[in-house]
Amino acid sequence: MAKGFRHASKRILEKSAAIRNDVRESTDANLLALLRLFGLLYGPIDRRARIDRAFRGALGYRLAPQAGWRHALGGIAYFLLMVLVVTGVLLAFYYRPSAQEAYPSLQHIVSSIPFGWLVRDVHAWAASLVVIVVLVHMLRSYVEATYKAPRETNWLAGFLLLAVLFGFGISGYLLPWDQWSYWTVAEAMDAVGRVPVLGRLVVELVRGDDAVSGATLSRLFAFHVILLPWLLLGLVVLHFALVRKHGQAPVVYRARYPERRMRFYPDQLMRILATAAVTLAVVITLAVLFPRNFGPHADPSAPPDLLPSTWVVVPFWRALLHLLGWGAPVVMVGLGVLLLLLPLLDRTAEVHLRHRRVAMVIGALCVGTFVVALVTSPRLRTHGPQLTVPTGAEAPAVPFGGAERVPLPVPPDTTTAGGGRP
Amino acid sequence: MWLAAAGAVRPAPAQTPSLALDSSYSCVMCHIDHRRAFLTGVHADRGIRCHDCHGGDPAARTEAGAHSRRFLGRPTKSQIATLCASCHSDPNRMRQFGLRSDEFAGLKESRHGQLLERGDPNAPTCTDCHEAHLIRRATDARSNTHPTNIPVLCARCHADKALMARYGIPTNQFEQYASSAHGRALFQDRNFAAPTCVGCHGSHSALPPGVSQVADVCGRCHQLVREAFNRGPHAAPAARGQLSGCIACHSNHGTEHVAPGAIAAACGRCHPAGTHGAAVADSLQARAVAATEELAAAGAAIARLERAGRPTAEALVRYEGARTSFGELAQIQHSLDMNALEDLGLKVASAARTVEESADVAAEGRWEHKLLLVPVWFLALAVLVLARYVRAEARDRHEGRGRPPE
Repeated sequence: MAKGFRHASKRILEKSAAIRNDVRESTDANLLALLRLFGLLYGPIDRRARIDRAFRGALGYRLAPQAGWRHALGGIAYFLLMVLVVTGVLLAFYYRPSAQEAYPSLQHIVSSIPFGWLVRDVHAWAASLVVIVVLVHMLRSYVEATYKAPRETNWLAGFLLLAVLFGFGISGYLLPWDQWSYWTVAEAMDAVGRVPVLGRLVVELVRGDDAVSGATLSRLFAFHVILLPWLLLGLVVLHFALVRKHGQAPVVYRARYPERRMRFYPDQLMRILATAAVTLAVVITLAVLFPRNFGPHADPSAPPDLLPSTWVVVPFWRALLHLLGWGAPVVMVGLGVLLLLLPLLDRTAEVHLRHRRVAMVIGALCVGTFVVALVTSPRLRTHGPQLTVPTGAEAPAVPFGGAERVPLPVPPDTTTAGGGRP
Repeated sequence: MWLAAAGAVRPAPAQTPSLALDSSYSCVMCHIDHRRAFLTGVHADRGIRCHDCHGGDPAARTEAGAHSRRFLGRPTKSQIATLCASCHSDPNRMRQFGLRSDEFAGLKESRHGQLLERGDPNAPTCTDCHEAHLIRRATDARSNTHPTNIPVLCARCHADKALMARYGIPTNQFEQYASSAHGRALFQDRNFAAPTCVGCHGSHSALPPGVSQVADVCGRCHQLVREAFNRGPHAAPAARGQLSGCIACHSNHGTEHVAPGAIAAACGRCHPAGTHGAAVADSLQARAVAATEELAAAGAAIARLERAGRPTAEALVRYEGARTSFGELAQIQHSLDMNALEDLGLKVASAARTVEESADVAAEGRWEHKLLLVPVWFLALAVLVLARYVRAEARDRHEGRGRPPE
């Protein structure tokens, strides 16, 4: 019996060794370049070596001396994107993008599908966290002037990635099809539609109807799961390729580098593993402790009295909307363009922030807007959606006049002689 | 010439040329303003012409000629009533339009009709409510007699303090009605089934219902309440006129709502503390308040379910069941039948608690989700420890052997 078992296990080991050997001889070390692009391996790959030797060589690669925790932000954002992709695909298995079925299908996901609630809340929380992490990542890049030559293109790619993330957030926000998501999107569309010249056109393209409707849901769903993922993939590849090409920028605010350069394995790989584990645990913790509540089913004829926000960007956006009306989208786009052009506007070799006047001004504008929105946003907790119909002041404040009460008729004036008598 | 002859004998309506086109019809040459109003109204469609009511000769070309031949001109108020009744009291003529033919008979019985008969210049006649020339169907929202316009129509006179003072009638009815349950249903919800003034007072036969008739007037719509009321101890005094029926507690035009918590106080107006009636009132109030609270708790439970993303269809069906029992309780309480109230209260409580339980189960499920954090953080910490261990071991090996790993 024991002899038979030993014999069988020996056969299995021999067979698997043969398979490993076949793989080794038939594959190319170039495959490792793909792993390297996506950050699973670092350093140059010895493309002439056999794949196993090239792999071991890459594991022993020593990182640049300035590599440290400050560079972890991009990696965390990347990991959160992966979490969003995986949970998004799982959600897409059950979600139905139609005005009638969206809301019940989400109810089904959170109440009947095993761990559906977790997938859904992790998706919602990761969507908020990824924006925060990317903004901090961008802030570090701004402060340390890593957008300067030769890394200008990568700043542009990174900024476009942020724009794509905002696109994901906006298009994903409508998908629950509850009162909160419906009216937040309706309010935003209304504001954008009032921007002179371009606003109407943009809104008509995105909304696909005179009001936010099932047509809008279909369009935003297509943006969210078809168009934007491809854009994201393309920009991520570009962003990563440029990081590999130029390497990490020298660190400005640091007295000296450590003497020993970190090895990819085990130092960096173990750091990646630990960071990913903690990030995932934090997202799950937030999802479990603060699940995203459901509003009532969307009702296009009755705006809600309150409009709770469920994505980190929304309170700031609504604060700007409250302060500036249709100026809010204009300011957002304006600041975006300034940030996008930062490497072109600030071209000196100076890296210390206090000597970079142009960058200081642009940064101050962005931070100032952010602070104003931050201060205003708590006041909006008691505000319902603010809507106007773009045709003019005489139109009702609410589409279809749903929530409006008909004023009571007044009895005829009987104080004058003859009164209302015929 | 032929037209003049045709005017003398009233032709069949279908062959009559439209008044709008008939340039030989001389009344409208002068009374052009009336022509437009009359053509908009319903009578023009039926071939009725000016001279059918006003007499005179429409074929004549001079004023004197036109105003001859049994010319009536401006009829008096009582003449108007008789004139309208000449067609509208004929059931054979009204049948085709689905109209009643008892309006004139009703008017004669009404307070308005009595004043008219006495020659009171303020008494309303047909045209005071229906207009003289521009008469629209009651289903037309522009008509004076459309449900949403009736309260305003009556208020034209009945909100006139100087006019009503002569008859000793109050003038606050419109105000009370507009804020009542009936008025809100009509004006805000556009519920045309809600009673207007004429719903209780009658239209042509307008009179306030007598004290002993109140329960029957309200009971025309609130049938189950009337049945319950008639089973209860208050029915007999109400029938004798000692108690003014429904309005004793609910007032008339204002339809005052007695909140569950105010029942004892309402009863206390007649039943002083310490009497049997006051004890029954306390018990009634306790049951009504309990049922109201149960219902509110069930509503809150459904809101909790909805926030948690749970399907609410089943809970809503049970909630509707609770609401039905609650509605029955609200009706049956007028009978003061404590056993029936007890049963209904239990039904409300049972349905409401089922809803609350399903919300509790969902909340418990949501709480159990937190247990997931234990394995998640255990695994995360395990990864941290493993990462540390791997690094430390690699360092030891590196330092021990004095060369980097391959």
